[in-house]
Amino acid sequence: MKIFICCKQVPDVAMTIQIKDGKFISEGMNYVLNAYDASCVEESLVLKEKYGAEVTLVLIGDEAGKEALRKGLAMGADNAFHIMDPALNQIGSQAAAKVLQAFFKGRDFDFILTGKQAQDSDMGLAGGILSEMLNLPYVTNAVGLDMADNKVVVRRQGDEGVEVIHMPMPSLITCSNDMNDPRIPSLKGIMASKKKPMEQLSLADLGLSADEVLRESKKSSLKSFSLPPARKSGAKIEGDAQTLVATLMEKLTKEAKVL
Amino acid sequence: MNVEFNQDQKLMQQSAREFAEKFLKPVAKKLDETQEFPVELIRKAAELGFMGVAIPEEYGGAGMDSVSYTIMMEEIARYCGSTSVILSVNNSLVCGPLLKYGTEEQKHKWLTPLAKGEKLGCYGLTEPNAGSDCAGTKTNAVDKGDHWLLNGAKIFITNGSNADTALVFANTDPGKGNKGISCFIVDMKSPGFSVKPMHGKMGIRASGLSELVFEDVVVPKENLLGELNKGFKIAMTTLDGGRIGIAAQAIGLARGAFEEALQYSKERVQFGQAISNFQAIQFMLSDMGMKIDAARILTQKAAWMKDMGQNYNQQASAAKLFASEMATWVTNRAIQIHGGYGYTNEYNVERYFRDARVCEIYEGTSEIQRLVVAANLLGR
Repeated sequence: MKIFICCKQVPDVAMTIQIKDGKFISEGMNYVLNAYDASCVEESLVLKEKYGAEVTLVLIGDEAGKEALRKGLAMGADNAFHIMDPALNQIGSQAAAKVLQAFFKGRDFDFILTGKQAQDSDMGLAGGILSEMLNLPYVTNAVGLDMADNKVVVRRQGDEGVEVIHMPMPSLITCSNDMNDPRIPSLKGIMASKKKPMEQLSLADLGLSADEVLRESKKSSLKSFSLPPARKSGAKIEGDAQTLVATLMEKLTKEAKVL
Repeated sequence: MNVEFNQDQKLMQQSAREFAEKFLKPVAKKLDETQEFPVELIRKAAELGFMGVAIPEEYGGAGMDSVSYTIMMEEIARYCGSTSVILSVNNSLVCGPLLKYGTEEQKHKWLTPLAKGEKLGCYGLTEPNAGSDCAGTKTNAVDKGDHWLLNGAKIFITNGSNADTALVFANTDPGKGNKGISCFIVDMKSPGFSVKPMHGKMGIRASGLSELVFEDVVVPKENLLGELNKGFKIAMTTLDGGRIGIAAQAIGLARGAFEEALQYSKERVQFGQAISNFQAIQFMLSDMGMKIDAARILTQKAAWMKDMGQNYNQQASAAKLFASEMATWVTNRAIQIHGGYGYTNEYNVERYFRDARVCEIYEGTSEIQRLVVAANLLGR
């Protein structure tokens, strides 16, 4: 069984996000594997342990993307493809899907997994667009995967509960980070990940030109970034129970006007 | 020296951080209260390879460098002082000398299970009357022809309550002071070996601190580590490596307290505004952050020098000295920023303060570190 996971590197949320003149400052940031993609890796590794599989990662990104790929390899994925090209900096979902379409052309796989969205942009578009481009059956927001009768059994979180869907292969599934608790890469895994195959591909290797990607990119473009407004500090009420209740009631009725 | 981490180090940082946030953050307070040795957490840390970070893979370690080790120590100590010292002792004080001084046979038999975390190690140097002054070691080992006979006692031994293997320093040539001390690898299941847990510590309360007692313990001849009567050198060299770990631990504790103080200052309202708006608080935060950074650079330099095979004796002592005193100061300021609440165990900062304080004492007091630095400066 061949499982491909489309991954993305995202800024490390443990660091301070800086915006200047409507632009995100990437200098000095650490990039990590998108948490939703890490869940895809975890689920694939469980399937691999259960049924046997080859788990391959594919990522579009600059040099920083290597670290995210190495994390997936350190968790236990078998190999990785790193699509890196100057024309791919700051591309949107549409262009990313176009590049991935070229990557998957003529490639043998049973199913493709990808995070249902990326932690940084929260777009959640690339998976759907890619499935259309590859003409693959597509299901979103998986919270569990298994195999039965040569089909992928997808537990999907819907609005009204969990749906169980049997997906034919090949197909494309986007995954929730509620699906599992991704394993922490061991130091042994980190060191072993250096020896695993990571192939670098350029746009030319995929038979694409920078113009083609640019055309897709122009279909939608990001105009500016801004940080959410800072949270106002809360008020701490002090005193005995009677004072606390009285003050709180007054604030809820007169200030917040929720009662 | 590169101030930016390489890919291995960044990935190690992520793993250590994830482990600490997921497993240590929720229980650190409870461990401090119950003083229970965190057996299950140490098993998990071992699975991730945290017990032998800088030990080569052929001996069961992760094969990473000393800088990576400092990164792990900081991330662990950021949430739990006890867990960090347990890892520090196994990594630096037990696996370290076994790798440096052990024979091939000793490495395979003793180092490999310790570096894998299948077994836990402790370091038996300190005695009631021999702390900074190793020459006062009373524990003795007598050559009985086909074995050594060990008698005496050690105190303040981290991991003692749960360890399987002890490195024990004993007098093998009475009257010769430091030149008559040897180091032995001792199986803690040996008859005559007993462990008495010690309680009542101010901080780092879940580290299995114990007294070790040896009553006619038979130690096989092949368990002598390094050369006979050269134990003092082993002890001192081992502590150089250990000091880098303690420096990183101090940085982690200071960072944990600093992050809590920073957050609290943004939430605590006095005089109608967050106290972070007041310069008095800003100056404290600024000095805290600056000192943590300075200590980190100093510590990573010492670790880098170790990795480069350079003499790092002075830098390890300087890093440990600066970082430990910095941690006492920073954690104390964190309490100040928290005001009255900081003095209660409702908040974590008082625990960080209690945990940090010992960094100025164990693995060489601040006074000993100053002597080491001065000796290097004066070429003595």
